[in-house]
Amino acid sequence: MKYPLILLVMLITACSCNSPSEPPPTTRTAEPADAIDQNLMIALSKAKNFHHKAKVYMSDGNIADAIASVREILSLQFPPGAPEGEDVRNDARALLAKLLLGQGKPESIDEAMRVVQEGIAQSQRKSFFVANLYTVEGEIHEARAATLPAEQAKDEKHKAIEAYDTSNQIDTELQKQLMESK
Amino acid sequence: MPTDDDNDFLTGTVPDPDAEPTAAERAHARTFAELVDKTLAGRTPPAMSADDRALLEVATVIRAASGKVELPASTRRSVVEDALRQAVGGAGASTVIPISRGRARRWAPWAIAATTTLVAAAAVLLLLLRPAPRQATASLPTAWTSRPTDSLFGPIERDRAGDASTRIDTIFADRLDGYRDRQLARGGTP
Repeated sequence: MKYPLILLVMLITACSCNSPSEPPPTTRTAEPADAIDQNLMIALSKAKNFHHKAKVYMSDGNIADAIASVREILSLQFPPGAPEGEDVRNDARALLAKLLLGQGKPESIDEAMRVVQEGIAQSQRKSFFVANLYTVEGEIHEARAATLPAEQAKDEKHKAIEAYDTSNQIDTELQKQLMESK
Repeated sequence: MPTDDDNDFLTGTVPDPDAEPTAAERAHARTFAELVDKTLAGRTPPAMSADDRALLEVATVIRAASGKVELPASTRRSVVEDALRQAVGGAGASTVIPISRGRARRWAPWAIAATTTLVAAAAVLLLLLRPAPRQATASLPTAWTSRPTDSLFGPIERDRAGDASTRIDTIFADRLDGYRDRQLARGGTP
């Protein structure tokens, strides 16, 4: 009875030593979603064309159609999780906000602020484009301050300074990261 | 059985070897032959004379020695174990290992050693034949991957905050380069 029992234990041990699953790969392989693909290039190409279309409208002084063209960029379908998509949308938001701001109407200024703040809120990471959105936010606060009495303008000016500071802070941080990675 | 001089061949005078057997001797021989046949058939008479029993035992032994009779395995083992028990000085039955168990004890270490060797050999083979881990070269070059575009521009100056048109041209051109390189490397397959 003793020997068969020892034999059984040895067999089970041998089997359990050989059965563990494969060790994880030493390097993570790039998934197809990580690579630049046709869908990303199509989305970038469309964004490029909408920007040029807006530029043509702007050169003709047609700000309303330029705004409409830039808005199209915000609804483009980029591959899920593609960092380029977030960057392009944030850049389009910055341009859109500036176009709205240029109209000088109070409702346009409010909409410009909404466009910028939505972009900041939806961003998944800090980037130079997010910093640019803070810059544009600062400009919007300045524009608001210009329309208000001196006493009420203080608050807007203060917010403008905060926005510029945040923008600079992000730029400094990212620049440092880029320098370290080189 | 009568014990007169003619029939008492164990204790009587030894007859001449060349002398013809008497009728009584022939009759006795026939009777004894029948007795032997009955014994071999398993029908041993319950009662017989001591002389006949002794002769019968001798006849049985002679027949077994000639190789015509084979004891059952259990009987054989029992006889051998009895002999061994006597040989070890009449020790208690518990100290004498039955032949079957003795055989198992002799083979068990060899069986375990052989099995262990086989298992070890199988493990070594598995180790040698298992697929190699994926190589680091499986990762894509950075230029082929979708990634943040910050490194293309650096900080965006305030007077260029709305210059998105120029920046999208740069982004598109850079990613197109990577996309084309990847396509060419893969033989043009998408």
